[in-house]
Amino acid sequence: MNFLLASGDNPLGHVVDRNITAEWAKLPESASAWRLTQDSGVPVSCLVIIVSGILVTWLLWRAAKAIETGPSSQGINRFVTKGRLGQFVEAIVVALRDQMLNPMMGEKQTRRYLPFLLSMFFFLLVVNLFGLMPFADIQHMLKNQLGGPHMEEYILFGGTATANLMVTGGLATISFVVIQIHSIRELGVGGWLEHLCGGHELVAGPKGLWLVVPIIFVVEFLGLFIKPAALAIRLFANMVGGHTLMATLLMFGAMAAKAGLANWAVGTITVASGAFALIIFFLEVFVAFLQAFIFMFLTAVFISTMSHHDDEHAHEHDEAHGHPAEAAH
Amino acid sequence: MSVTLASIVTLASEGASPELIKVDSLPAITAVVVFLVAFTVLATVVWPKITKGLDERNEKILSEIRAAEAAQAKAKAAQAEFEKRLEEARAEADRTVRAARAEAERQAEELRARAAKELEDMKNRATQELEGAKRAALSEIHAMAAGLATTVAGKILKREIQAGDQRRLVEESLSELSAR
Repeated sequence: MNFLLASGDNPLGHVVDRNITAEWAKLPESASAWRLTQDSGVPVSCLVIIVSGILVTWLLWRAAKAIETGPSSQGINRFVTKGRLGQFVEAIVVALRDQMLNPMMGEKQTRRYLPFLLSMFFFLLVVNLFGLMPFADIQHMLKNQLGGPHMEEYILFGGTATANLMVTGGLATISFVVIQIHSIRELGVGGWLEHLCGGHELVAGPKGLWLVVPIIFVVEFLGLFIKPAALAIRLFANMVGGHTLMATLLMFGAMAAKAGLANWAVGTITVASGAFALIIFFLEVFVAFLQAFIFMFLTAVFISTMSHHDDEHAHEHDEAHGHPAEAAH
Repeated sequence: MSVTLASIVTLASEGASPELIKVDSLPAITAVVVFLVAFTVLATVVWPKITKGLDERNEKILSEIRAAEAAQAKAKAAQAEFEKRLEEARAEADRTVRAARAEAERQAEELRARAAKELEDMKNRATQELEGAKRAALSEIHAMAAGLATTVAGKILKREIQAGDQRRLVEESLSELSAR
């Protein structure tokens, strides 16, 4: 009954990371041609990350080919984006750039950090969506075909890599480094330290306020690490939560059968929980987009809070005077 | 390689407690390396193409909008000029029509006056001719009446009357006739 998503009776079976070769080693002797003898300790998420990295690069490269201006022999059509993938990527890029990042960061900073932020967004999106593909469940079914005792957590590939806190932590570390490099580049070491002490108004203000500077310094210094940690934990928790809920819903039918309920009751519970799981699946697709966006957007927010405000004012000035850069969109 | 920190969830059903959070540097390093490699490729090959394509299209759309606005302004100016000229042409046409109508009325009036005058002249001439014919007819009647009277009188008197007598008799007869 539980051949989809939930491996065994454990809803977290779909979520937790495993080592690839260890799983191979669980294959029975009958499948010895596929069997690896040693555990190299490489988690499945590593393979998913590598495949996702290749996939996102390839997809965006194809989208770039579709979006870029064609030869003049195509006439006016050379400006038209070809294909749904290109149009999908273009719609997201234009919306993020013009509706989200430009108003917040200003045009100059947006141009500088757009490649990084969009790369992060699409990378996370692909990894998140990868987790919704039933690779693990297909292997679970294959395992059942191959047979073998006690192989309830047999997965070679698949699962949600962003449901691994180490993965989200690694990506948040990149955001952290980018934010700090930007801060020191924009404000200088002195300005950066001044920011940690509460800003120029406080440091150059009345001496009585200096008493709070150490407190603010501690809070701000911790905040440097808490912000990216929050990025990592938020993404991790959302991915784990959604997938666990979906797997749990799909387990209800099997649990009802194990409890010895009548067939009609098992069927009803299976259909109802399956319908709910389908709804949650669509919600998970939305969450995959949302969490990728939130990770990228909050990184942009942290970058913009460590910028000089001149850029924002310049941008507002541009907008007030009808700067044409955004007019066509 | 990996160190278990915690097992977050213990299932109510049978089975082991999966390790939800494991401190394992390999996924983190993989994620960082893969992302940085992907980012390097994307930043050098992909995003420049996409942003360039979007910017070029943006510029194209803006230039088309500007050209369309210029063409619209030109068309509006041309329309205004056309309407102005049309108005002038209408006014000119009105003036021409009014002048033509006045001229036609004047000519018609002139023709009517000329026709009336000619009619009056014809009437006068006819009256005069009629008077002349009347007078001629009367003279002829007088002459015939005189001749007839003379003939009758001669026959009565059986004598010939001289020409001078005849004229005198005629005049007398005419005078009597006129007096009557």
